[in-house]
Order: sequence, then structure tokens, then C-alpha cells
Amino acid sequence: MFRAEPLLKIRLLMLATEAPDAALELARFGLFNPAEHAHSGYDQAFDESPAEAYREAWLQAESRLSKVVEQCGGLGELVIPADAAAPSLADLLELNDWLKEVWTTCLGEHEAEMRTQDDQRHLEALEETLEKLERLNVDIAQLLRQDGLLAVNIGSLPVISLKRVTDALSITGFLVSTFDQHNEQVYAVIAGPREREAEVRGVLSQAGWRELPVPLELRTHPQAARAWLIEERKRVEERAGVQCKVMDNLRGQYRPRMDEARLRVALARPLAEAALVGVRGKGGLAGVAGWIPRRRVDALRALLEERFHGRYLLDVAVPEAHEAAKVPSLVRYPGWLQPFVPLVKSYGVPRYGEFDPTLPFAFTYLLLFGAMFGDIGHGAVILVLAAALYRRLGRMAWIGIAAGAVSMLFGLFYGSIFGYEDVIEPVWMSPLHNPIHVLTVAVSFGVGFIILTLLVNVRNKFTAGHVSEALFDSTGIAGLVFYLGAVGSVVSLANASESAAKLANPAAVLAVLGIVTVAIFKWVETRAGWGERALVTAIETLETGINLFANTLSFMRVAAFSLNHVALALAVFTLANGLSTAGHWFTIALGNVVIIVLEGGIVAIQALRLMYYEGFSRFFSGDGREFVPLRLELERNKV
Amino acid sequence: MSAYLNTRVSLFSGRLWQNGDFDALIGSPDADIADTLSDRGLPQLAAGYNNQDPLSLEQRIIAEILDETRVLIRPLTGDARNFLIYWTERFEISNVKTLLRGKMTGEKPAALLARLTPMGAFSRLDVQDLVHAEDVTELLRRLEAGPYAGIVRQARRAFEDSHDPFILDAALDRGYYEGLARRAQPLENAVGSAFRRLMGSLIDCINLVWLLRYRFNYNLPPAQVYFLLVASHYGLSSSRLRQLAALGSLDEILIALPDGLRREMNGVTEIHEVFARMDRMAADVAGKVLHSGAGAIARAFAFLILRERDLRSVRAVLRGRHLGLPMGDIKQALQRMPEGAL
Repeated sequence: MFRAEPLLKIRLLMLATEAPDAALELARFGLFNPAEHAHSGYDQAFDESPAEAYREAWLQAESRLSKVVEQCGGLGELVIPADAAAPSLADLLELNDWLKEVWTTCLGEHEAEMRTQDDQRHLEALEETLEKLERLNVDIAQLLRQDGLLAVNIGSLPVISLKRVTDALSITGFLVSTFDQHNEQVYAVIAGPREREAEVRGVLSQAGWRELPVPLELRTHPQAARAWLIEERKRVEERAGVQCKVMDNLRGQYRPRMDEARLRVALARPLAEAALVGVRGKGGLAGVAGWIPRRRVDALRALLEERFHGRYLLDVAVPEAHEAAKVPSLVRYPGWLQPFVPLVKSYGVPRYGEFDPTLPFAFTYLLLFGAMFGDIGHGAVILVLAAALYRRLGRMAWIGIAAGAVSMLFGLFYGSIFGYEDVIEPVWMSPLHNPIHVLTVAVSFGVGFIILTLLVNVRNKFTAGHVSEALFDSTGIAGLVFYLGAVGSVVSLANASESAAKLANPAAVLAVLGIVTVAIFKWVETRAGWGERALVTAIETLETGINLFANTLSFMRVAAFSLNHVALALAVFTLANGLSTAGHWFTIALGNVVIIVLEGGIVAIQALRLMYYEGFSRFFSGDGREFVPLRLELERNKV
Repeated sequence: MSAYLNTRVSLFSGRLWQNGDFDALIGSPDADIADTLSDRGLPQLAAGYNNQDPLSLEQRIIAEILDETRVLIRPLTGDARNFLIYWTERFEISNVKTLLRGKMTGEKPAALLARLTPMGAFSRLDVQDLVHAEDVTELLRRLEAGPYAGIVRQARRAFEDSHDPFILDAALDRGYYEGLARRAQPLENAVGSAFRRLMGSLIDCINLVWLLRYRFNYNLPPAQVYFLLVASHYGLSSSRLRQLAALGSLDEILIALPDGLRREMNGVTEIHEVFARMDRMAADVAGKVLHSGAGAIARAFAFLILRERDLRSVRAVLRGRHLGLPMGDIKQALQRMPEGAL
């Protein structure tokens, strides 16, 4: 729970023809994280990528399948039989060709449907347009004569192109006259010398010009246009009906094989995914590399033996020190801790071997929240709300429930219920009446917290093999010695007792020893000229002191927020007391809602901020790799 | 923030190349090239120098530009930020063109993906999804549902009518630069003449080069040529472009240019010379803005224009060296680099 599980690097060699099944078995195994091959030893001799073609085919098939499913929809749940085998490359290619055929047919029909819809919209616009066209004070039959000196086009174009088209056509002596507009399409008559008509075609085509199919009837008998339009609409609707039937037929025709296609694509996924990281090979051999938990090596061997009966070679190795940054982190959390994992991972993933802060995070976060927002009533509201929203919030609701409970606990300690301080006696103390005490406790907690983070950092550095940093850096032993010395000095100066005064000198020596060690380390570590080195050393050493001081004082906000909570309640009571009975209780209720929403939200963020910046930033690099096992499609979310 | 950006631009301007630097690069022994590139703030080019794949060189150059743009964008907000982000999007429009051409020729998705320029943090397209479109029509439909819908919609309509890849490219380019001019307008009002001069030199150069190319290389009719140009309110205004498009020869067009431009084009007889002169003029304007007290965004934009010009020249030198061309030929090529060649 405090660190990632020990992992081993495996290299599995098998016949290239059995690679899809091997990847499938690894996916079913559920705890294999594919990794790149090393650039040494026999890995170097495996210089081919036998799964590339497989991945390429799978990507295409998967893309086509998802497009077809999107179009056809309505496919049921996919069940993957436990003994189903992965498709070979030839199978996948054949499937891909079939999916291409299906998609091309679907796409053609889909395009036809879109054109029909477009035509329907066009006809609707035309209906209104023709009304205006009929009223044009021109002889349309004469205007549209094919043998006239004047070339006339009636149609529509996007309104944004109108000015440009008008300007462009003016070069060739054509005029543009608009007579209607529907949404972003403007309807216009374009006229100019017939001998230059060919010159304008390019412009019109580029501008998205759509010629209006003015029927012959309209040219001779404008009143016949209505009848023509009705006929045309009927024809388009019939076409739409036919297309629907064609799509339904297609769905019926392709559906039986679609389920099989989905199954095959799902079974092919593991090798295609593994190929992304790198499946290497030579001749008839293929190899995959990756990480598995040490505790599961024997189980994997048994699984492979049962499936391949010795036709494989499994090489297992402990990760070397230089590989630490590449090893993924697999941490098993108990169910009750799971809701806090996303909050930690939003900062970063712990490196392999690094201390996993989820457990201390959960406790400290709740403790800080409760201390800053201690109130039995408010805590109960948060608890009940989180429980009520459990379905919507999922596991995250447990954070609200726990935060509410801790808030209630601290409310009991502080003797506060919905801001009332005189209803119950505080079990511990009332922040309002003991502000200095609360501040002292908060800062002391901060000192303890910072010491803990420094110790964790020392442990992490030792684990990673960075011994000098663990011993001499500002967040190592030297930094810790300085911090303990500085805290001791401050405590002895603030305390008038004789025993505390005796502590002053040793503490100061400790602080000086620590900071000088840090300065020397910075000097040695900085690779630059003398001047820059001196500057970097001075600034970074100064920063060490300032940072630790500022981080400690940061915890004063815990006390400040606990006081703030009481002060807000007092403000609400003051307002409420000046009102009548109804106004009084309304103000009390509204004030409490404001406190819960506003202050509750701020405190939740402040507690998170303290954890991230005063805690995690000191020991947690957060640049680890998450363990992402190879899985079958449907189980992907169950990592 | 403008003080930070000004300082950053001033620091970056030290990375710009002088003519002597190119001569040194051309004459350097192979072993020193990586160090020279690294010293000039081009670590990615230095790292990949021995890789002789020209596409990889192209991608590295763009990666360098994107890296520097990212640093300059950091302190910006509002219109200035949107403008510089949009300025990077022309590389993504190039990716759109690559995707479209790939689909026209039936290129395999993996090969197509390898040819695309990685946009890193500036990426807006889901290229993994787009490369798996079945054909150009499907690809255009998918693009139309994405961030470049406005640009692609016009291009699709034009392409559906003509099925001409040239029309598609021209429509995409025009759509992109009109978007750029639109985004520049609030900055021209806010920052003043320096920014306007930069945009003017850029758009004038693009318009004149396209006009000549479409008119005399592709023999398009004047109306279509004019339609394909970027609507402009700079030196070569839309009404001037309309007049120029209607003219029938290079000489007539050069004579009809505004006075300043006409003087610059004195003695030009070939279209490629126009490219070179316009490019040099744009660089001069950018140089003046960079070393002036203009607003930070104008200086940042000027730096990016000059930096890109430098990198085009570096690319020419490196390619020339890979091909084993004589030094004289490489030097001559440097003087002919047309605008928008990236």
C-alpha cells in the first residue's frame, strides 16, 4: 500500500504465427504491461517488426467497424468466449476487405441520404424563391433563352462569397443581382456577355454556386411551377423512402456478420496494442517484452504452458537500477482507499520504488479538512448530501462522507453545531476562545508534517540510488538537520523557561551545520563558471531557508480557517438577531448554506493545496508511469 | 507582460542568421554542422543532421518554429494570443492538404501519418481518425465537422464541382489567409502601423505571387484569379488586384503596380524574381519592425517571419549539402527562396 508492487521484466519469444494468440493470452492474464525491447543482447538481433502489418490492418478494421456501427447502430453486447482464438493476419485482412465493402456501401447510401436531405432543404427554399421569381418584372422565358446574347444564370451562393463573386465577375462584364436570402444562402441572377460565359464558370464553381433548376414550365407558364414543385418534392420523398429501405436492408444483410466482425476485432486488439510499443522478431520468431508483478510469474508460466505446450521461451529479469524510470507503478489499494487515488494521481503517478502517498494523503487530508471546518451540523449536512448523491458521484462520494464525518468529529471537539458555540460543551477547546493555542497546534502539526515529508524524501532518494542527494540536499538529511535546528532555535527563543534556553545553542549549531552542508552540496553540484556558481549556491541556499519557513507558516491557515468558520457564523448570527422571527431563521438557514457551500469549498481546496504544495512537492516527483495492462476491449476500464 | 515578451523577443532575435552565417554553414566541414546548428538555437536540427530524410528535416524545422512560438505565446492573451496560435495553424492546413492528397492517391494510413507534421501542443486535428477516412469525400466531411470547418466547407464545395486538387489547395490557402487577415484586424487597430505594415507585406507578397502564378503558370481566367486571392485592404487593395488580374502580361502587371512596389520590381523579367524581391521586401519590413519600438506582438510576429525565412534558407543549405551540390549553387538557391515555400 505504501509502494508499488515489485515487478519483473519478461520477454516472451514464440512463433510469429502464434503471436496474436500469445498477446490474447497476455491480455486475458490481465497483468501484463507491454514495454519497449532493450537495445542490447538478443533483442538487438530481433530487428524486424512482425506485428506492424497486423496493427495496420487492425487499425483500419477497427476504424471501419466503428464507423459502420455508428451508422447502423443498435448492436447488442459483445460476448467474448473464453476459448476464442485471435484472428491471423490473413483473417484480419479478409475481414478488413469485407468491412471496407460494407462501409463503402453504407457511405454511398449515407451520402445519398445527405444529398436527398440537401435537396429537400433546397426545394423548401425554392418554393419561397419561386414566389418571388414569379413577381420579377421580367420575361423569364426570354431571359433564360439559350441562344440569346446575354448569358443568364439563376441560383444561390453562400452570402459570405457574394461580394467577392460580384467583384470577380465585374472583370468579365457580368452583373450579379440578388433577389432573396435564406439563412446563409443568397439567391441571385447573374448575367453577362455569352461569349465570356466560360470564364465565369471557374469562379462560380469555386464560390459554391448552385444553379436553380428552373423548370421549362416556369419559363413558359410561371403558374405551372407549383405543380412542378409538388411533383419534385414527391420524387425526392420517394427517393428518401427508397434509401431508408436500402439502409434497413443493408443493416439486415450485414448484421449477422457484424457481430462476428466485432468479436474478431476485439480478439485482435491485444497484439495490435502490443505492437504499438514494439513486437520484435526475426524470421519465424516474434517477441514481446513487458512488465508483470513478481507474484504472478508462476501463474503466467502455467497459462503459457497450458496454451502453447512448450512452444515459447519466457525470459524473466529483475529491473536494473538504470531502468527505474521506465518501470511502471502497480499499487494495490484497498477498496476504502480507492476514492482518494484520483486526487493523488491528479498530481502525478509515483515512480516505481517511490513511497506512495495515498494512505497518508487520505488521513491528513481528512484531518486538515475536519480541523478547518469543524462543525457537527455542517459536517452532518455534507455527509448526508454526499450519501444522497452517491449514485451520481460514484466512489468519490466516500470522500464527502468521510470529510463530513471528520468535520462532525472536530465539531464535537470544538463544541460547534451549525455555528452555535453554546449548545454543547467542547470536548477539546473552542477555537474562538483559544486562538493562540489553535495557531500553535496548527504550526506544530505543520512542523511534524514537513519533517515527515523530508524523511520520506530521504527514503525515496536512497531507494533511487541518489545517496548524495539523500544526505546533503536541501530536502535530504542536511535540510532536515537545518530544519530541526531552526525550529529548535525558534522554540527556545519563544520560550522563557531555563530548559528551553539551554536548547538554543545546540539548535543553532545544528541549523548552521545543516545549511552549510546544503550550501557546499549546491556548490559542488552546480556546473557553471565561478560567478554563476556562487550566485546559484547563494540563491538556492537562501531559498532552502525561506521555503521551509514559509511552508511551516502555511499551516497557520488551518487555525485561521477554524477561526474563520466561527467568525462567519457570528456574522450570520449578528445579521439574524437584527431581524424578526421569520427573518431571523431565514437568515440563519441561508447563512449556513453559504457557509457550507462557500467555506466548505474553500477549505476543501486549501486542504488539497497544503497536501500538494507543502507535502507532495517535497518528496513526490509524480513522473512515474502508470501500470497499464494489456486487456481485451470490453475490460479496458477495469484496470 | 509586454515587457516580458519584448525581452524574450530581443533575446530570440540574437538567434537570427546573418548572411555570413549561411556562408559559414555552407563552408563548414560535416563534423561541425551539428555544433553550428546547436549554437544557433536549433537543437532539433542539430540532433537530426545525420538523418538524410528531407521530410524529417522539414518536420524538425517546423518543430523548432513551434517551440519558439510556444514560448512567445505564453505571456499573451486575447486577440494577440489567438493571432499567433492561428499563425501556427498553417502547418496544420499543410497537414490537411497532405491528408487530402494521400487519400486521392490511396496512400496507406501509416505512411500518411509518418508524413504529417507533428503539431504537439498546437494540434487541433484528430489525425489518427482522419487517416482512416475511406476517401476524399469522407475525409472532407470529417474535416468539416472539425476545427477548420469554415475553411474546408468552401474547399469541399469547390472540389465537388471540379474534382481538381489544385482548386482544393487554392481554396484551403485562401480560406486560411483570409482568416489570418481577419484576426489581424483588431491588432492593427490596437498595435498600430507596425503590425499593419507586417501584415501588408505578407499579404501583398502572397497575393502578387499567387496572381502571377495563377494567371501565367496555370492560365486561369482573370475573374477566377481574382476570386482566389486574399481579400485585402493593404498596399495591393482588392480593387487594385482586380485591375491587375485583368491584365495580360507580366510587364503590364509590373507597370500597373503601386509606385513603391513598381520601383522594387525594376528590371524584373521572370516570375521567380518577383518572388525573391517580394520576399526580401517582407524581410526588410519585418527587420525594421523587430528593431523598432513597436508593440510586443508586432515584434514577436516580425521575429517569427524572419526566423521562418532563416530556417527555409537553412533547409536549402542542408538539402544542398546532402545532395552534394557545389557551394555556388547553394548560395544562388538562397537568393531565390520564394515566400510561402514551407
